[in-house]
Amino acid sequence: MRILVIDDDILSCEMTVAILEELGHKTIMAANAVEGAELLGDGSEFEVVFSDLNMPMVSGIELFREIREQQITIPFILLTGDDPADALTLEPKLDGCLMKDFTLPETLEAILSDIMKPQE
Amino acid sequence: MAIDLTKFVSRFVEEAHEHLSKISDGLSSLEQGADDAELINALFRSAHTIKGSSRMVKLITISEVAHLIEDLLSAIRSGTLQFNADVSQALYSGIDEISRLVDIVAENPADPKLPAVDEKLCQLLAAPLSSDCCESPLPKAVENEIDDKLVIKTTQGDSVPEQKLKVSDTVRVQLPKLDQLIKLMGEVVSSRARMDQRVNELHGLERMLENSDALNPLLPKIKKFNRSLKNDVLAQSLLMDELHDSALLMRMLPLSMVFDSVSRLMRELARSMGKKIECVISGSEIELDRQIIDQLSDPILHLLRNALDHGIESSEQRQKTGKPAVGRISLSAYQDGSWVVIEISDDGAGIDIDKVKSKAVRKGIISEELAKGLTQDELVDLIFTPGFSTSPIITEMSGRGVGMDVVKRSIVIELKGLVSVTTILGQGSTFTIRLPLSLAVMRVLLFEVDSLPFCLTAQHIATLVRIPRDSIMVIAGGRQAVILDNEFVPVVSLVDIIKVPKLKKATKLKIVPHPMLQLVVIQIRLEKMAFIVDALLDEQDLVIKPLPKHLHKIEMVSGMVVTGKNELVSVLHAPALFTAARKLQQASSKKEQNNEGAFGTDTVKILVVDDSPSTREIEKELLESYGYQVTVAEDGQDGLNKAKAELFDAVLTDVEMPIMDGFSLTAKLREEESYQAVPIIIITSREQEEDKRRGVQVGADAYIVKNDFEQSSLIDTLKTLLG
Repeated sequence: MRILVIDDDILSCEMTVAILEELGHKTIMAANAVEGAELLGDGSEFEVVFSDLNMPMVSGIELFREIREQQITIPFILLTGDDPADALTLEPKLDGCLMKDFTLPETLEAILSDIMKPQE
Repeated sequence: MAIDLTKFVSRFVEEAHEHLSKISDGLSSLEQGADDAELINALFRSAHTIKGSSRMVKLITISEVAHLIEDLLSAIRSGTLQFNADVSQALYSGIDEISRLVDIVAENPADPKLPAVDEKLCQLLAAPLSSDCCESPLPKAVENEIDDKLVIKTTQGDSVPEQKLKVSDTVRVQLPKLDQLIKLMGEVVSSRARMDQRVNELHGLERMLENSDALNPLLPKIKKFNRSLKNDVLAQSLLMDELHDSALLMRMLPLSMVFDSVSRLMRELARSMGKKIECVISGSEIELDRQIIDQLSDPILHLLRNALDHGIESSEQRQKTGKPAVGRISLSAYQDGSWVVIEISDDGAGIDIDKVKSKAVRKGIISEELAKGLTQDELVDLIFTPGFSTSPIITEMSGRGVGMDVVKRSIVIELKGLVSVTTILGQGSTFTIRLPLSLAVMRVLLFEVDSLPFCLTAQHIATLVRIPRDSIMVIAGGRQAVILDNEFVPVVSLVDIIKVPKLKKATKLKIVPHPMLQLVVIQIRLEKMAFIVDALLDEQDLVIKPLPKHLHKIEMVSGMVVTGKNELVSVLHAPALFTAARKLQQASSKKEQNNEGAFGTDTVKILVVDDSPSTREIEKELLESYGYQVTVAEDGQDGLNKAKAELFDAVLTDVEMPIMDGFSLTAKLREEESYQAVPIIIITSREQEEDKRRGVQVGADAYIVKNDFEQSSLIDTLKTLLG
């Protein structure tokens, strides 16, 4: 799968990418929501977006709302340093929300196989 | 198998450092009254990032502390919590704890063992929220809502910070390689002197040929060759200078290398001692040679610890004396000509000079009579003497053997700098360190003493003068002095100090005393001393090489240089020359006193007021050699205070002085009932009639002009006035 990873924190962005690549996916990094939105509207075909929640200027949730408004329906998974439940209360339409912690290798794998199932 | 994220730990350490310094910088801007939503946002994000990434690499303790900080910042951002000194203290404690934890992680990134979160810290960080937010408990999701309210700048892109990986524009070089390069550069610059020497030699040969064989057809060719060589050497030396400067620049580092870690360290120390301080730092952008920076942190930290330990009082004590409860320690740097000045000051108790004096006497560092004669500055300087420590109780931090003498030693000997202190009792102290920008190449003055070359580093030299031999005044005990710019400057012959061993030179010419004397005037802080040398030789930029270890005991020589003629020349150590010269003078004046003590005029007390330390010193010694008891004062106000405290039999005063001049002092003294009849003598370089009249008008008894100052006239005047 081609996956877009958006995170303003380069370290955590790279960690996410490392996990995804270990799982055999192709990834592109974006350092903020604007860059991410540009890549999405670029015609590049991504199958999943992983985005950080807390970013300068445009947050992950705002980005999600923006791309849905542009009729882009690609699965959108939010990564957050806080309780995922809060984010999901705030934006229930998210395809998923994961807590950034050391269990991320497992949770990422699980959510990706979840997403792939209905598509098959 | 899923990937193990803990291999990112060392990356996390790097990132955390960056964010911690961002937060710390941000907090200090907030403290200085910045009220910027974006700033608080940025702080919040840094804390948030630390929290997130630490959790990803399984450093739970760090993530928990970061979370508490984040909560505080979030409350500030939403306006439910007001930023104040307590909150800022709590936040600082939090980030300090994280730095500590990150340091633990950095030591063993493979398997970091972090302690659990400190309970006290938790309470400290939670306290502002529990007290201020009772009415509106902060829901956890509040930060997201706030984000929603922020103005969203969509895809314009120009204001979005660029975060793509850039191709690095720097190259990492091992320090020893750079050091080697600079050392070589120094040698190349020094070799210029040799090139000049060769050019001169060739010029000499050309002359010889001209005189002996003027028609030699080779002569014009040699002349032409000589000229081109001269030009080439000149052009090359310009390039060398430039090359050397650029090489040195590579090794220059900002003082922030030392300064940045200071404020955290100071806060931690202050906490451990239960004192409250604010640490203000400025000038950390100033650059110095890495060689100096490396050796600077120990002395600076020692001085800062001292300021905290001995200087800053406890909050209660401070409030009792009407000071703000939070003490202030400032560390600042600025450039002053070829020096960099670093000042460390505190608004604490100041140094009790009387205590310093009595302690120095008690410890046998100085005799009681000697201590009496010292000025305030000289007394404070006693704290730099080995074996001196003023703290009544030996605490963990200061007073554990490494003392101010070590600080002074490393600054003066190793860094070729100077250190001094000024203090006001009850108001604080300031330590001033002066450092050269670089130690690689120094400008030195070469001169000759007893047909041997010696040199001094240029920054210690105040002036070079040639004066007629007979303009030297001989005062008490065969001591000599000269007047330079309205100041008495003691004159010492360098031969007497260096004690050059007599060389058995058969060809030595009979020395006819030259009518003119060459003086090298050395200045250390305010004090000047003139040294007689035989001749000036040259001025060059040279590499000063340290003495081999077995010669370190020689205090008078701080290093060696190699000159153009391949000679080894000793670099004299200016402060050591001062000490030696003073010892020599004291020895001679003691002899004098022993001879004249029998006259028994020791009950006559005289106050000498002059702002020049060397003038005071000379007048004092002169008067003492005649058996008078002398007290000195540094300016009119100081003189007035001393005169009021104790009745003197006569007052000698200079005219031009800071704070209060001699005329005002005289007038003020005459207002005092006890000084109506005391003789006041004005000593000055002013020779104008109008001044003399003014002196008489304000009530002076005599007016002596320094230029025709003769000791007998002063003593005679005094004797006449005292009756």
